[in-house]
Amino acid sequence: MERTGEARLIVEVKGLGKSFGAHKVLDGVDFSMRAGEVVAVIGPSGSGKSTLLRCLNQLEQHDEGLIQICGIGMQAGLPVPRKDMNDLRRSAGMVFQSFNLFPHMTVLRNISLPQERVLGRSRAQADERSRALLERVGLAGKADQYPARCSGGQQQRIAIARALALDPRIMLFDEPTSALDPEIGLEVLAVMQELAEAGMSMIVVTHEMHFAETVSDRVILMAEGRILEEGPSAEVMRRPKTARAQQFLHAVLNR
Amino acid sequence: MTPENALLIAGGIWWTIIVTLGAFGLGAALGVPICAMHVSRSRALHVVAVVLIVILRSVPPIVWIFILYFGIGSGWLSIGPVPAAIVALGVITAANMAEIYRGALKSIHPGQWDASHALGLSTWSEFRDVMAPQIFRVTLPSATTYLIGLLKDSAIASTIGVMEITYLAGFLASKQFGASLQIFAFAGALYILISLPLAAVARIADARLRMKVAQ
Repeated sequence: MERTGEARLIVEVKGLGKSFGAHKVLDGVDFSMRAGEVVAVIGPSGSGKSTLLRCLNQLEQHDEGLIQICGIGMQAGLPVPRKDMNDLRRSAGMVFQSFNLFPHMTVLRNISLPQERVLGRSRAQADERSRALLERVGLAGKADQYPARCSGGQQQRIAIARALALDPRIMLFDEPTSALDPEIGLEVLAVMQELAEAGMSMIVVTHEMHFAETVSDRVILMAEGRILEEGPSAEVMRRPKTARAQQFLHAVLNR
Repeated sequence: MTPENALLIAGGIWWTIIVTLGAFGLGAALGVPICAMHVSRSRALHVVAVVLIVILRSVPPIVWIFILYFGIGSGWLSIGPVPAAIVALGVITAANMAEIYRGALKSIHPGQWDASHALGLSTWSEFRDVMAPQIFRVTLPSATTYLIGLLKDSAIASTIGVMEITYLAGFLASKQFGASLQIFAFAGALYILISLPLAAVARIADARLRMKVAQ
């Protein structure tokens, strides 16, 4: 898919700040992305990557700055109207490190229930869509199982299907493979790569350097709550400018 | 133990069950808002819930029954012995169920809230579809233990004249001097008879639910 040209901005973040108590987790973060772009966010643990993602869909409320995502603007300190919040959650799908499937529902129910509750689809419509998505992530046979009977990699693919079922315009991935064996992680990354190739806008917080370099269009490297470097993947990862970024990349690329 | 006596005492089973289930139903329902207040972000609601729970749990059930039936019931509003027993045991149950719910709430992985919010589920759907079923599963064993305890506690309803098992046994024993041992032993056996199926049903339900979510 062609990603260049005059695509509109799907995310715009200006002066984003967030503190937990006295600890400033995000400090003056600015970035934007166009629809269809795939952005990888990398950096050492505790650099604020996950918090950035959680602010984007308001699982955390930011203290400073402005977030615009899918046409919804959120200024720090101002309450987000219910309608905007609903639109936001509908537009932004999220995938978590710990999968967070609902353990008491079958795989099919996990994917269908949000469609019924959030989009008002009938059970039949929802199930049809769920089965199509399970097929797409290679788990058609798992529909009637409970999540506990699925491997971690399978659970994460189901979680991706659950998020996609609401027809999001952007997908947020919060370290989707960090809880998985490297080998199992590959099956999740394959699904994500396919999604990227289909033109989905994606922000991926990850420690998978290979994925960041080969699949994403752009890499954002964060440390201590700030964006250290940002640019085309190969450039940031192979020719980092700052000493801190060089140190981090040297550590993770030479393992 | 004559068949007539046995039948008479067994006639109290219904009131025993009505008082027990009535109090449990009331408590299981009232426990939800009390638990919600306890975990609420509002400091005031939290304090109210804590005070309520301490008061309800510290005063003996029989004293609550007397307060309701002889205290409030005699002067301010008229309340029959059965409703008095159900309400008195019900509010105590509410305090205990609130604590049982709270324990279950803590056992739910925080990611469940994240997922519900990120998917855009409404607060009601989050409660009804995601949290309540999981809380129910976790509370089932402790709630059953409490229910069986409540079944035995319902005997104190006899003190205000509810014609349940213990009341009828006491009535008979006072009439037939010398037969007290058999009469009360029979009453005891009835309690065992009621609690056994309760425990069995709960154990089977628990095992089934566990099997579904087991790794």
